[in-house]
Amino acid sequence: MGENKSDVLQGTLDLMVLKTLEAMGPLHGYGIARRIEQVSGDALSMNQGTIYPALLRLEQRGWIKAEWGTSEANRRAKFYSLSRIGRKKIEEETENWERIAATMARFLAPSN
Amino acid sequence: MNLLRILLARCAALFRRGKLDADLNEELRAHIELAIHENLHHGMSPGEARTAALRAFGGVTQTRETYREQRSFPLLQQLGRDLRFGLRQIRKSPGFSVVVIVTLALGVGANTTVFSIVDAVMLRPLPYAQPQQLVEVSSADAGSPVARSVSYPDFFDWREQNHSFEHLVSYDDNSYTLTGITRAVHLDAEIVSWDLLPMLGIQPELGRGFVAGEEKLGSRVVLISHSLWMSQFGGDTSIVGRTIHLGGEAFTVVGVMPPSFRFPVDKPQNSLWTTLAVDSDALKNRGSHSQAVMGRLRPGVSVAQADQEMKAIAGRLAMQYPDTNTHNNSAKVQLELRAILGETRTLMLVVLGAVAFVLLIACGNIANLQLARVRDRQREIAVRCALGATRASVLRQLITESLVLSIAGGLVGCAVAFVSVPGVLALIGNSVPRAANAGVDLGVLGFALATSLLSGLVFGIVPATAASKTDLVKTLQRGGQARIYGHDWLRMAVLVAQVALGVVLTAGAGLLTTSFVKLIRTDEGFNPDHVLTFAFDTPDSSYKNRRPQVYRQYFEKLRALPGVESAAGSMILPMTDDDAHISFENPERPVAKGLRPNAELMPVTPGFFQTMQISQIEGRDFTEADNMQAPQVMIVNQAFVKTYFPGEDPLGKKLKPGAGNGSPDGPPWRQIIGVVGNVRHSATQREMQPAMYLPASQLPNWCCVSSVVRTSVDPISLEPAVRKLVASMDSDIPVTDVRTMPDMISMRLAQPRFTTVLLGSFSVLSLILTVVGLYGVMAYSVTQRTREIGLRFALGAQRGAVLGMVLRTAATLLGAGIAIGLLAALAFGPILAMMLYGTGPRNPAVLAAVTVVTALAGLLAAYIPAARAASVDPMRALRTE
Repeated sequence: MGENKSDVLQGTLDLMVLKTLEAMGPLHGYGIARRIEQVSGDALSMNQGTIYPALLRLEQRGWIKAEWGTSEANRRAKFYSLSRIGRKKIEEETENWERIAATMARFLAPSN
Repeated sequence: MNLLRILLARCAALFRRGKLDADLNEELRAHIELAIHENLHHGMSPGEARTAALRAFGGVTQTRETYREQRSFPLLQQLGRDLRFGLRQIRKSPGFSVVVIVTLALGVGANTTVFSIVDAVMLRPLPYAQPQQLVEVSSADAGSPVARSVSYPDFFDWREQNHSFEHLVSYDDNSYTLTGITRAVHLDAEIVSWDLLPMLGIQPELGRGFVAGEEKLGSRVVLISHSLWMSQFGGDTSIVGRTIHLGGEAFTVVGVMPPSFRFPVDKPQNSLWTTLAVDSDALKNRGSHSQAVMGRLRPGVSVAQADQEMKAIAGRLAMQYPDTNTHNNSAKVQLELRAILGETRTLMLVVLGAVAFVLLIACGNIANLQLARVRDRQREIAVRCALGATRASVLRQLITESLVLSIAGGLVGCAVAFVSVPGVLALIGNSVPRAANAGVDLGVLGFALATSLLSGLVFGIVPATAASKTDLVKTLQRGGQARIYGHDWLRMAVLVAQVALGVVLTAGAGLLTTSFVKLIRTDEGFNPDHVLTFAFDTPDSSYKNRRPQVYRQYFEKLRALPGVESAAGSMILPMTDDDAHISFENPERPVAKGLRPNAELMPVTPGFFQTMQISQIEGRDFTEADNMQAPQVMIVNQAFVKTYFPGEDPLGKKLKPGAGNGSPDGPPWRQIIGVVGNVRHSATQREMQPAMYLPASQLPNWCCVSSVVRTSVDPISLEPAVRKLVASMDSDIPVTDVRTMPDMISMRLAQPRFTTVLLGSFSVLSLILTVVGLYGVMAYSVTQRTREIGLRFALGAQRGAVLGMVLRTAATLLGAGIAIGLLAALAFGPILAMMLYGTGPRNPAVLAAVTVVTALAGLLAAYIPAARAASVDPMRALRTE
């Protein structure tokens, strides 16, 4: 594994998935995984498989919905989309994350 | 909200595992295929595309595993796996499983049965509001623990002077004949002070409770039970305000009580409640102690504080009224439930303890069986360890197996309890208050489940710990036949403990049996065979002052019935636990009024002693000539003579028992005209009490005498004839309590009988379990030692020596167990003292018998394996491994 890549932080993956679905609309697991890889560039080390427990977790919470559909390769695949609760949660979670990030930034800023 | 949703999703997932697994597989497959598809687009070869897709994905299996964990409850599923495995193990060794389940079912069944009764009797709160504030207040003689009844004037003073109680209520049993309906019925009633319902915190179903003014003399109001309202008045709501006739007097019904209402709780048959206004005779008599008193403590007042205050009040009253209260100079306040239970509490605890012993012995047996089996499973366990099972997982598996067995045993045990509870209740009869409400309900089933699970842990954890410590390499090296060193002593210790418990239990049962046999064989002082008893009221309203003639004519007709040898009447029947005490004046030993001695009072008709076959020691019986006009007379029993005229001839002496005969001069002087033998008043009476017999014809205002009839035919066959006879005299008088004397005695012996039967069964059960356990341990140890024994034979040992060797081991274990058991029995015996009659709690004959029986049964159990050991063929034994 590349030394310079970060592991995905617990909890951040959920938000990434939600944001992806918000931006792209209904998408299958592979699509979500690829999109996250693309957006993060090479900064993240992530097995694509880890997306699935995260998807299940979000589905159990009722934040996303899943439906079987047909993929671009003409194959049956499960498509995930945001639920009504999910849309609301994105705002909350985004705020939450920004607060943490801001706090972290203050800690990391060179003290004067 | 979130948590609930997740939980629900996970629960749902439990039941759709197959479908969800298939979905996941398909989804993952789609993922890989999409990735391959894209890689092909980027110009990879099919092989490269696939490898790259899989690499990017990470571990498919790990993903699936994490996904499943996220999806449902992994621990639950693991438990499911262990359970399935446990069930398979149980099916694999049915013999072992059946023995364990049956043993446990007996233990749990017996415990559940007893617990269901203890629950109903001791644990359930009284059916009133805030029952923990309700207390029983009794009168007492300072320094004596005996609780006494209270007189009305004392009660009124208590009620007025105390600051501890919100309400203080007197109550006393009574009975009435309800007339003016199709057929007169006899009903049990309770006389209470007005605020009974406010004290209990209970509202009538219909109408109202009493008000204070209804204690006023002449007031006749009544509350009726729901069942009486239904059976006699068809549930008609216009009953409130109506007049009904009780004992010939008109009472106004003020209310109907709810169906569940019982007061007192140990008299569920009560169907009428009246105010104390009906007790006009006793209201002013400070010497007549008839009332029980119950109170509700004020908030913040403790039982001890109330007790202290009541003692002070009683002390003051004794100073104020020395003539009547010298022997009632103290009081006692105790929680109502405790007062109702009285000595039954000890009895319940003894039975509960005994049945717990049975379960412990059963657990001992199962633990020993498990230990033996675990040893046989060494190889299996070692293999599982070798395949990577951790110690924790082996432990978990073995305990799960025990728990599966224990739950199975518990279920069968519940079935046992369902069957046995009615039987035990029949045995108890009404000898234990509140027992009749017992039943196997949810709480009891919960107890059974908890007991079985606890037992499962007890008998499962020791063998499981032992097994999980298995030394893998050594066991496999020896072909799985390794011993678990250091656990033989464990089996032995379990066995010794079982024997000891069994001895304690059997000793207790032995004592109770001895006592019960003594009770049955006791001379009642009369001959109960072929005696029929029954009762009917002669209400004051139509019989006051006519009673002597009415009874004389009635008994003449009764004696004339075919099958009747003799008949007589007595106000109080022997063996009914009924008694009346009254003080008397003895001119030869004058004492202050308050210190006068008292004795049992028995108003009887002529022929009573002859009918009951009570021995006439001296003098004569009463005759019809002993009426109001004749000199007033009395007869005393031997105990009376022994106590008050030791070494003197009592005939011709004059005493004045405080029993008024209606004359304005008060109670008359009476001459003693005869001495009769002592008679038992209660089946469980320890000493014969001094008694005074007075002719009923010289107490014309006293109601009423019960009839005793000695018959030449089956006594109960006379029931229709006596009912007809009484009805022909007055159709408004129902005949009640028709019983043969032997039945009555048997009823009175219900309590000692049921404790004896229960403890007896428990001790037999424990003896069987112990013997089986001993047999199992010895048989197993002989099998284990076959090779050693064979070697001994090969080296020239005699068969007798081998037999002796095995028996010696058994005898040592038995000896240790019996010794410990005997010591414990000696230590705990006194707990039983109040339940024993005619034997001390440390009866050496009983202990000797228990020792002999246990030793013999134990040696017999050990003899079979010992004999098998002695018949081992050395050649075959040496070849066994």
